[in-house]
Amino acid sequence: MRFRHFLAAALVATAGSASAQELKVGVQNMAPWLDPGRDFSNVGSQFYINTFEPLVGKDHTRAESIWQPGLATGWTIVSPTVMELKLREGVRFQNGDPVTAEDVAFSLDRIIHATFAPYTVRQRDTLPNLAAIEIVDAQTVRVIAKKPEPLFETLMNTQQTMIVSKRYIMGLTGKPDALEDADYEAFSLKPMGTGPYRVAEFVPNQRLVWERFDGYWGPKAPFQRVTVTRIPELSGRLTALKNAEVDLITNVPPDQLSVLEGDKALKVEGMVTPLFHVVIFNTQNPKMADARLRRALSLAIDRKTLNEALWQGKAVVPTSHTYPQFGPLYMPELKTFEYNPAEAKRLLKEAGYDGFPIRFDTAAAYYTNGLLAAQAIQEMWAAVGVKSDIKVDDRWTGGDADMMARNWSNPMYFPDPTGSFGIMWAPTGNSATEGRFKPTAEYSAVWERFRFSTDLGARKQAYSELMTMIRNDPPVLPLYQPYESFAMRANISWKPLPGHIPYVLDFRAGRIAQAAR
Amino acid sequence: MSDIAREAGVNVVMPRMPAMVRPGWLRRGNATFLVAGLLGVLLIAAALLAPVLAPFDPGAQKLLARLRPPIGFSRAVAPYWLGTDALGRDLLSRCLYGLRLSLALALFGTVLGLAIGVTLGLVAGLARGMTDALLMGFADVKLATPFTLVALLVIAIAGSGIGVLITVLGLAYWAQFARLVRGQVLSLRELPYVEAARSIGASPWRVAVRHMLPNLVGPVVVMATLSFSNLILLESALSFIGIGVQPPTATLGSMVGQGRDYLASAPWVVAVPALLIVLVSLSAMLLGDELRDRMDAALRER
Repeated sequence: MRFRHFLAAALVATAGSASAQELKVGVQNMAPWLDPGRDFSNVGSQFYINTFEPLVGKDHTRAESIWQPGLATGWTIVSPTVMELKLREGVRFQNGDPVTAEDVAFSLDRIIHATFAPYTVRQRDTLPNLAAIEIVDAQTVRVIAKKPEPLFETLMNTQQTMIVSKRYIMGLTGKPDALEDADYEAFSLKPMGTGPYRVAEFVPNQRLVWERFDGYWGPKAPFQRVTVTRIPELSGRLTALKNAEVDLITNVPPDQLSVLEGDKALKVEGMVTPLFHVVIFNTQNPKMADARLRRALSLAIDRKTLNEALWQGKAVVPTSHTYPQFGPLYMPELKTFEYNPAEAKRLLKEAGYDGFPIRFDTAAAYYTNGLLAAQAIQEMWAAVGVKSDIKVDDRWTGGDADMMARNWSNPMYFPDPTGSFGIMWAPTGNSATEGRFKPTAEYSAVWERFRFSTDLGARKQAYSELMTMIRNDPPVLPLYQPYESFAMRANISWKPLPGHIPYVLDFRAGRIAQAAR
Repeated sequence: MSDIAREAGVNVVMPRMPAMVRPGWLRRGNATFLVAGLLGVLLIAAALLAPVLAPFDPGAQKLLARLRPPIGFSRAVAPYWLGTDALGRDLLSRCLYGLRLSLALALFGTVLGLAIGVTLGLVAGLARGMTDALLMGFADVKLATPFTLVALLVIAIAGSGIGVLITVLGLAYWAQFARLVRGQVLSLRELPYVEAARSIGASPWRVAVRHMLPNLVGPVVVMATLSFSNLILLESALSFIGIGVQPPTATLGSMVGQGRDYLASAPWVVAVPALLIVLVSLSAMLLGDELRDRMDAALRER
């Protein structure tokens, strides 16, 4: 018996050391293309941190924002509208080219003065306040804002402002000295940056293979090779993990964790994600125009029960659109959303709701527990007398004029209400752009005050006013912050970090280790 | 046959059946027929009586009693005989209603496919020439196209209402019906009694309805049972991938589809509706097989 144990241990040890150079990951979703500047999906955001870097770095082990040198070694806020950054010397792109001030200017400029349509969307929702980027000298650049900018560091730390190579992108298609839309399209299939892992292979929607970039300026990547494969079915991911075909899998719902318990070869790490699963309404659809109807729909949802039932109580039900990651702007004291079916019934009566069915769109499997939550919400609405029809549709219907209600998520793109609530619900945000939300003049004025005040107290006051407006005329209702679990082989040391945006798979040095056992 | 014989003025001599050595109900295959028939009757009765038999409303949720196993397993809760699904809905009630809807969809689909296929087959066989070539050309194209793909396309364009689903199911097997009927018509039209009917001035319509259709009933019924079981599977497949009937309404396929994530942690959510799918299609296929054996003269006389 003892010999068998010894033999097993020896075999495992050999297998362990042989595979220590490669990490295999099974993910639920793989992106159709990868370009950090263009992307704002929950899928691509998993990957950028390993291949690209922003100018300003961050301590990702902490929820609050602690800025660190990134591709810039230091910076000063020269005036309320000007930030000056000193670039790190000796940084190279993964193709060997040195990073120049021109690359840095280009990276930001391709979004600020977008010619390629997908970048214009990011210009509006993420960088609307940036006017220009100027090269001072070979190691210095200046970022110029239109209005006084309280969030310079935050913006220079986002995924959208990660640094890319001008020469590489220009040379991808067509004329090598001109920037064409096709160059950006080609880049999104052959992404290349300054991070510790270079993309060795990318098969859209299927597979991503990283290899260690030996010319990286910082601590070298812990793995020679990381293979990320899409395994969309949960049962497929669980089986792949149990059979050791992969070392780590994403998106395991809490009610499936029991399957993994008792298997000593596996373990689970999880975290409440800085992202809200939400229900949104098309306020511009005449059927949904009455604010009282939308308020009633919001008040009718018992989010605590949803959390207990679908997330085993591990999700977080918020009182307002706010995350701990906002630091001093985290305002859980705001009571924007609550459960009050009696008030819902009263409002429905007042609004004269005549029983017409509300179409509730949901993707089949994009959000963990999304379809289940939709069906549970349908019952909760029925309990206050609202009829609804669920429509399972993997198309994005958020911009459709006949959309009434649908599920969506509001991730935290950067740690400020601007980077979460704002991306979606600012007057220049995604919802206003797509036409389902029309901010009033008063709302826009309060937003301006919130966004550009340099005084913390004034920002908090304005955000609280915004939340009151959202409560009274809701275009959105946060359900909960999901608890996302990752399962892995027991010899892997990895966990999601609170300082990242949602779903980031950070495999850089110091963030992951594989024991040889 | 006697009608036709009289009309054609021909004295038809029926072939003599081989002498039976055992009582009819003991013949080979009868046991299968009996079991399959009984199973079919049971399933249909369960589906028809769903509102009476189901202990719960199939949509009623009990969120805090999710994923409870069937009675007899630990953690089971008393009134839920087959356990509950991911939203705490009674699995037995959902299975009964799901069975009802799946059977209804397959039945409507079969009837629609049969109506389209038989009509086009009759027309092609009787009209011959260009019409025949065109219709059979369509049928060949239909048969050569992977139908799940067509179904996906139609549902992607037209949405996924029950009407669309029935239409898709109806379009799934019309070509098989059409080819079968056309083949039968081509061989029937050369038979003396049909020729006789034509020669005494019977209209093509009368020939089709009076002389052809009765002879087509056998093969068409057999084809219908086979198409029925295939439609049960097709509907299940479409619902499994989430484009059939919309939730919360249950069909057997959608229950399997939505339950598949719980295969490891709560296998009963999938096992019960999957078993029903197997039973329904098995029963329909066995019946169809048996009917074919009985109606196929060549097989019967062997």
